[in-house]
Amino acid sequence: MNEMVILAFAALIIVGALLTIKESDPFRKLISLGIMIGGVIPFIVDRGLLDVAIAVALIAPLSTIFTLMVCGRGEE
Amino acid sequence: MNPEFLLGAFLLLAGTIAAAFPRPKTYLNRLINLEISAWGLLLLMLSYNEALALLTFGGVSALSVYIFVRVLQKKEAAG
Amino acid sequence: MTPQEAALAVCGIIAVYAAVRVALEPDTLRKLPFFNVLSFAVAGSIALIIPHPLSIIAAAAYFVGSTLESNAIASTYAGGLDRRE
Repeated sequence: MNEMVILAFAALIIVGALLTIKESDPFRKLISLGIMIGGVIPFIVDRGLLDVAIAVALIAPLSTIFTLMVCGRGEE
Repeated sequence: MNPEFLLGAFLLLAGTIAAAFPRPKTYLNRLINLEISAWGLLLLMLSYNEALALLTFGGVSALSVYIFVRVLQKKEAAG
Repeated sequence: MTPQEAALAVCGIIAVYAAVRVALEPDTLRKLPFFNVLSFAVAGSIALIIPHPLSIIAAAAYFVGSTLESNAIASTYAGGLDRRE
């Protein structure tokens, strides 16, 4: 992975984290958290830990769905 | 100083501060901000090449989110 | 620059562009198509980073998980499962 791609995914992580902290609506926070997770997974793959990457990529949305259970019904 | 270490330290710090002082002070915002620092710790473990710790922490983190969600639901039901 | 690196660079540029579009979108439901674009770009770059047969499975796993997450958010925002009795 060359420097430009590392810079792109680092920008993805930082934008996602700052956006997650800044937003106040839970749905917008969860979408921003998805941006941050999309930046983290390529770093795991780049180290060559492909089995860990498969497990984490399948577990991360499960955690988001658990959080959505308490997120309410949207606009009633 | 590889990029994983720096990004993980940044995420850990920012997530901890955001979980301690959430903007609208609700439990749900605190829980979502706690996940930022969980991913930061995961990146920090990645920078030291700990594959087994990474796998275990990923699983246990989802389990703890489920337990917190159950606690929040019981609190909402109780009033 | 080999063709593989060029494709990886294109995937990275698309991912950053989609992230900026998601960040600047005021409507919550309009964020989700751009979030899907970002997940396509990340899945493509996961498959392109390491030339290994298992990396295609990792890309497929991320693709499935991210689409599931996006659809769950959209479904809950639009009203969720009707469980009131």
